[in-house]
Amino acid sequence: MEEGTFLEWLKQSGDSIKEGEPLFTLESDKAAQEVESTDSGILHIPDNGPRAGTVVKVGAVLGYLLAEGEAPPVEAGEVKPETAPANVRDEVPQNSVAVGVPARFSSEGAATISAPASPRARRAALAGGIDLSAVTPTGSSGRIRERDVLAAQMERDRSGVKWVDVPTSATRRLIAERLERSVSQTVPVTITGRCDATGLVCLRNQLKAVEAVPVPSFNDMIIKITAGALHAHPKITGRWAGSSIQFPEAVHIGFTVETEEDLVVPVLRDVASLRLSDVARRSKELIESARSRRISSSEIRDGCFTVTSLGSFGVDAFTPVIQFPETAILGVGAISREAVSLPDGSIVSREQLTLSLTFDHRAIDGATAARFLQTLRKRLESPTVWLFND
Amino acid sequence: MSSSNETAFRLGLYRTMLVIRVVEERLAKSHQRGMIPGACHTYVGQEAVATGVCAHLRDKDAIFSTHRGHGHALAKGMHPRELMAELYGRETGCSRGRGGSMHLFAPEIGMLGTSGIVGPCILQATGAGYSFKLMKQDHVGVAFFGDGAVNNGAFHEGLNMASIWKLPVLFVCENNQFATEVPFESVAGNPSIAARGAAYGMHSVVVDGNDVVAVAAAAEEAAGRARSGGGPTLLECKTYRTRPHSEGMGDFTYRTREDVEHWKALCPIKRFREQLLSEGSASASELDAVEKEVIDLTEAAHQFAEASPYPSPDSATRHVYAPARASALREGSVQSTKPRELTFMKATLEALSEEMARQPEIFVLGEGIGVRGGNFATTSGLFAKYGPERLRDTPICERGFVGLACGAAMSGTRPVVDFMFADFVLDAAGEIINQIAKIQYMSSGRLEMPVLLRGCIGIGHAAATHHSGSYYSMYANFPGLRVVVPSNPRDAKGLLKTALTCGDPVLFLEHRELMGTKGDVPEEEYYIGFGEASVVREGTHVTVVALALMVHKTLAAIELLKAEGISVELIDPRTVAPLDSETILKSVAKTGRLLIVDEAFGPFGVGAEIAARIADSGFDELDAPIRRLNGKPSPTPYSPPLEAAVVPSIEMIVGAIRDLCAE
Repeated sequence: MEEGTFLEWLKQSGDSIKEGEPLFTLESDKAAQEVESTDSGILHIPDNGPRAGTVVKVGAVLGYLLAEGEAPPVEAGEVKPETAPANVRDEVPQNSVAVGVPARFSSEGAATISAPASPRARRAALAGGIDLSAVTPTGSSGRIRERDVLAAQMERDRSGVKWVDVPTSATRRLIAERLERSVSQTVPVTITGRCDATGLVCLRNQLKAVEAVPVPSFNDMIIKITAGALHAHPKITGRWAGSSIQFPEAVHIGFTVETEEDLVVPVLRDVASLRLSDVARRSKELIESARSRRISSSEIRDGCFTVTSLGSFGVDAFTPVIQFPETAILGVGAISREAVSLPDGSIVSREQLTLSLTFDHRAIDGATAARFLQTLRKRLESPTVWLFND
Repeated sequence: MSSSNETAFRLGLYRTMLVIRVVEERLAKSHQRGMIPGACHTYVGQEAVATGVCAHLRDKDAIFSTHRGHGHALAKGMHPRELMAELYGRETGCSRGRGGSMHLFAPEIGMLGTSGIVGPCILQATGAGYSFKLMKQDHVGVAFFGDGAVNNGAFHEGLNMASIWKLPVLFVCENNQFATEVPFESVAGNPSIAARGAAYGMHSVVVDGNDVVAVAAAAEEAAGRARSGGGPTLLECKTYRTRPHSEGMGDFTYRTREDVEHWKALCPIKRFREQLLSEGSASASELDAVEKEVIDLTEAAHQFAEASPYPSPDSATRHVYAPARASALREGSVQSTKPRELTFMKATLEALSEEMARQPEIFVLGEGIGVRGGNFATTSGLFAKYGPERLRDTPICERGFVGLACGAAMSGTRPVVDFMFADFVLDAAGEIINQIAKIQYMSSGRLEMPVLLRGCIGIGHAAATHHSGSYYSMYANFPGLRVVVPSNPRDAKGLLKTALTCGDPVLFLEHRELMGTKGDVPEEEYYIGFGEASVVREGTHVTVVALALMVHKTLAAIELLKAEGISVELIDPRTVAPLDSETILKSVAKTGRLLIVDEAFGPFGVGAEIAARIADSGFDELDAPIRRLNGKPSPTPYSPPLEAAVVPSIEMIVGAIRDLCAE
């Protein structure tokens, strides 16, 4: 982590702070977290201290913990602007920029390689906010003409959508980066399969009826069963590392939580060692932390496999994106009652569930993945055996 | 003349010679001391000539002189301080610091100028004589020139014209025996200058140029002859310059110390002083008193000049052109109710006829423009109306009659030079470029130069290279000239009317292939100002600038391009100088594309100038490079297929426009 978005102070200027007390919340990576004080003292928040939404670098001074009677520093938290450039200049070697070529031009030149454009075209591009490097030249000498810029502008405006800029959060950017990386660095293939969830539904109804605390969600039950299936099919958690495939010692399973703004993936550690009730309790805690933006970074890392569900939205099958660098992800669809033809030809009403498994084909063959999915389906159809046999 | 008047007259001659001598010696000293930034050609030794000739001249008589003109200016009445201030480069100088030693102007006293070029003064004095004769004034024009000028064409052309038209002119040759540093006898087939007058049927006299009384007597007779209609006289005044050609130059490479000493002994001032004393006209003390007064005058003039301010650098380009004259009858204000179809030639003839009726000072010079009515009928019917003095058939001496026109314009008339083909007038290029274009400026705006120089340009009719040139870009290169190149009868008439009423010299160039073309011309009188381009066709894709015949060829090209959906805006600048780049820029701002179609040669041409201006002020308007389509840079060939190959054709214009639109 190099930077984060400051969210709020949890204490006020003048409060006496003890070591270990939470001081402020910071949004970083995938989650917001409370940052605890590593010292004691009286909190002084300077006038130019961070506001909600300010991006702060690691190591930036946000406030001061003063001893009793100690005066806050002048120009707290900021180096005087008059002195800053001088210091910077002293530190920058004179030859760091090529002589006679302002860095601004050389870098710009590198960034916007385009066909030569007429002065009129350049003026039109500036006025219309058109990037010349994206304009197709039609001049007989390969020059971008005004009409080319106007055509590009018209093309852009044809959608008729007026775009409004809304800044993205650090978390959203991180998610976008991860998704991009996942798609570009894996060979994802999705397979789907249906299973009978009548057993799951019955079991959960029974647990509700006996007022189990907490009542596990379908997701909890599926995660627990998945953990077992992963033990039976360890290849599914093996990560492609080029010359080798790496296998985890314990299987930690992440699950997606939709928060107000973002998507958080808390991780349940060593699920195989947990009982269903532990899974249910722990997942509930993690969901609450995630939704209140107080989840810690240790609670969102080290996943080996992820379970994601769109069932509550009535989605049956979809193509989940692997949580890179993991190798596979399970998409859980909606459980719904459907007419099913039994082997004896009778048609009955049963709870049905579709599973979507996306896997990195580099590490896993189709048949291997299919076998895992088959195991998972079978176990889900007899959940009691697999949920309570340990 | 009574004897006391005679004595006063003689003392006056003595004093004038002394003024010249003392001022020149003071200037020589100043030159040596670095107070004169440029050249200084003194008149020492020749004082009797200027003094004697000018003794019988009046303010309204016009004198024209050479690079050695200080004496003429002073003898004509210029105050020494104006002369000295001019040489010192001061604001109070006679040419306001624009001229120096070789460009002295004082039109208020009939000093119409000296020139650094040998010869033009002869033609200009002839022109002044023409003005005075035409305007029925009894003034005379006087040319002072050295022996070096008599081997120059201007001498022969000028004397011939003055003689055939019996003009009131004095040609005063100061034979100081050296053309700069070349002995006259070594460059003259016949060393008798006066004898040359006979070749032109002119009264000629040889005078001792160091005898002021003899010079004055000869000049009196000659001036009297001129004023009474007896025609011109050639005075050969034998004299000697006893200082170097120019101050600071060595003097004894081409002549000997002994020669110079010999002539110093023949000093006209010393000689006249002795004469005055011996004949008892004045006492030594009287003459000494005159001398003292002159020395004091000169010293005061020197101090005045030295104390005078330099001209402001801001004024450096002032007086290149005459002040603009606004006409109430502007093109736009005239809404013709009865347009008629006239040919180009008829339209210009109408303009000339209207202005000749209004301005008696207009006269036309040219070959065959009298009874014949002009090679292209440019003066058809005018001879019958206005007679031979105002429609003057000339000898075939382009330099001569253009130089005459220059002098005429300087002295109050408005000459129209009809030179038939523009190629012919190149013989007079020096008179146009060195004299006509520069005189308003050199005279610091005290002289205007209303000279109209008209003739035909353009390739066609297998006229070949001496009847096909265009030349307008050459003339447009020179400050002081207006260059008009009309493309249709309406414009031609309106522009010619402006040319005939403005104070500037105008080159009015008519394309031969357009002279017979017809177009609507308003019945009412109207003028079209210079520097006002016309938008001939409005369009959106490309701007084409064209002149004269190329306007019509471009119009044909536009018709052909309509089918392709190419919309052309056609602009006719109508005048090359001044050039209306504003209108062109406005059009380019709309179209983003500019093509200049010009029959004349490309290099350094009108197209280059337009392109440079638009690239400068309209850079961001351009969506493509500026293109030019020009005639091929070669002399114009005769054979029709060759001739066609050097002129932009309609097909070439179509191609050039198409290419530019694709660019």
